[in-house]
Amino acid sequence: MRGDREITYESYESSKRKLMDFMESLSRATYYIMIKNKKGLLGFIILLALGMVAVFADYLAPYDPYEIVGDPFQPPSDKFPLGTNDIGQDILSEVIHGTRISFYVGLTAPTIATIIGLVLGLMAGYLGRIFDDIISGVIDIMLSIPSLPLIIVLAAYLGPSLTNIILVIAFFEWVGVARVVRAQTLSVKERPYIEVAKALGASSSRIMFRHILPNIAPLTIAYIILGATSAILTEAGLSFLGLGDPTAKSWGQILNHAYARNAFALGLWMWAIIPGLLIAVIGMGFTLLGMAIEEYVNPRLKSYEAK
Amino acid sequence: MSKSFLVKRSIRLIIVFFIIILINFLLPRVMPGNPATILANEYQLPPEAVESLEELLKLDRPLSEQFIAYLYSLFTGQWGYSYKYYPTTVFELIMQRLPWTLLLLGTSSITVFLMGVALGIVAGWRRGTRVDAAITFSAVLVYAIPYYWLALTFQFVFGNVLGWFPISQALTPGAVYNSVLDYIADVLWHLTLPVLAITLTAYATYTLVTRNTMVDVLSEDFIMVDAAKGLPQRKIMWHAARNAILPPVTLLAIRIGHIVGGAVFTETVFSYPGVGYLIYESIIFKDYPVLNAAFFMLALTVIIANFIADLIYSLLDPRVKYER
Repeated sequence: MRGDREITYESYESSKRKLMDFMESLSRATYYIMIKNKKGLLGFIILLALGMVAVFADYLAPYDPYEIVGDPFQPPSDKFPLGTNDIGQDILSEVIHGTRISFYVGLTAPTIATIIGLVLGLMAGYLGRIFDDIISGVIDIMLSIPSLPLIIVLAAYLGPSLTNIILVIAFFEWVGVARVVRAQTLSVKERPYIEVAKALGASSSRIMFRHILPNIAPLTIAYIILGATSAILTEAGLSFLGLGDPTAKSWGQILNHAYARNAFALGLWMWAIIPGLLIAVIGMGFTLLGMAIEEYVNPRLKSYEAK
Repeated sequence: MSKSFLVKRSIRLIIVFFIIILINFLLPRVMPGNPATILANEYQLPPEAVESLEELLKLDRPLSEQFIAYLYSLFTGQWGYSYKYYPTTVFELIMQRLPWTLLLLGTSSITVFLMGVALGIVAGWRRGTRVDAAITFSAVLVYAIPYYWLALTFQFVFGNVLGWFPISQALTPGAVYNSVLDYIADVLWHLTLPVLAITLTAYATYTLVTRNTMVDVLSEDFIMVDAAKGLPQRKIMWHAARNAILPPVTLLAIRIGHIVGGAVFTETVFSYPGVGYLIYESIIFKDYPVLNAAFFMLALTVIIANFIADLIYSLLDPRVKYER
């Protein structure tokens, strides 16, 4: 009994130490990525500011974006800072609530894509043989199919729903992740400690997920962040073409209405300028943060700055 | 050029081609409601009409038989009728629109590549300086700008406000041309804003990749040898640039699809009569035969362009050649 307790205590101590180590390396990573790296800092500030807007949208927005609160096509005024749209909804409130959709799409689609890409990339890289042939073949072909036209056609047939759009984006984004994870796995699996694990009789799935995955996990986080930009742009693009979810007011959707109602010709240029600018800004935030993470994970890239 | 490389790429081209055909064939058939019932809902057709439509589209036959019929009509150019432009067949419509898209795509691929690579070479050569920082930062900024937003802005500023360029179409409506030169001038005048919008949003990736390759190349031994030989700086830069140009060529092959995406949006904003604008119109009017055909043509354009880029790449890179 006594022995049992000691083992439990020791394993508690060791897992506590592991957690401390993890927290320490995490805070060190955060410091280098978000504070020391200028790109990362700028990206972090942009995302933090927009993230606050998304979280507090209900308090920040002067009106309910779905409610008709004034006359249609009103120019910017004290009452409606960005004017009103074609049916009299407040554009500022629409824009503020659109931040939520952008974060939602920008984080879910690449996360799904990264999980798929991670599993398939690990399998192709570690198991090799037939798995590698099939997965690499699929990757090769997916990369040759023009994604945007196919995404448009798929979205047109699947019908306007945000979930469909996210799934379609993820369906195309996993390919890039899988390719990089496969290449990384190929190099990691030659390391001695993998040999040791194998000799100790660890199963393939244990080696893949316990021993190889931690080595490539940071890189995949960079991919989620970098993938956010293209996911947001794709959703906005589909909405702009009229394939968006009518129940979710995204920035692309606002632009679509501005375009369809000739906002510029009517002199309501804020209606079109602001949502497009915000898409570019949130995209820049994700790209800068992603680049900083990539530089931290892959020091070869960082040396560019030093030179 | 390596023969096996060529064979491999040709096989891939054929596989991708058939996958695209398969997608085009299956999409209207596996989605809830077949083309006949979609049409019926859209245009409030009586049940008899739905039946005869199903017969016409061979929807009552087994899938394999449908597929053979589909292949036959695909390769003989019988792509059905457009719902919106009714007496016009889909094939005619696509053939009217395709040249404009190819013109837009060809021109903007060249401008995107030249601008992206030139800026990348400058940034890489002057790495660590303010020039480098400015080029890199602006590239990151434009990377996330949506095509259609820049197109809308250009249309407003240069078209509506300043009046320098036309805001829509590919030719002046009702214009009579005295000579071929007049015609070309009109085409170019209408082409300027769309190409500018695509170029300024798409060049960034090429700049970033060329810059990073350039920095890599500049740390290699032969550059040091060049410097030791006392070659002028301009020659060293040229030597490095020539070696830094391969990755952006590969990128052109991978990313030509993005330029196609840019064309779809930009054509839509400028009502430019290409396949991209046709996609927008077919979405708005639920003109599914046209949507499928437009997708097919764009996909075909991309995979052929990819194939050509692969060939150019194998000609440029000596390492792809070693198998003779």
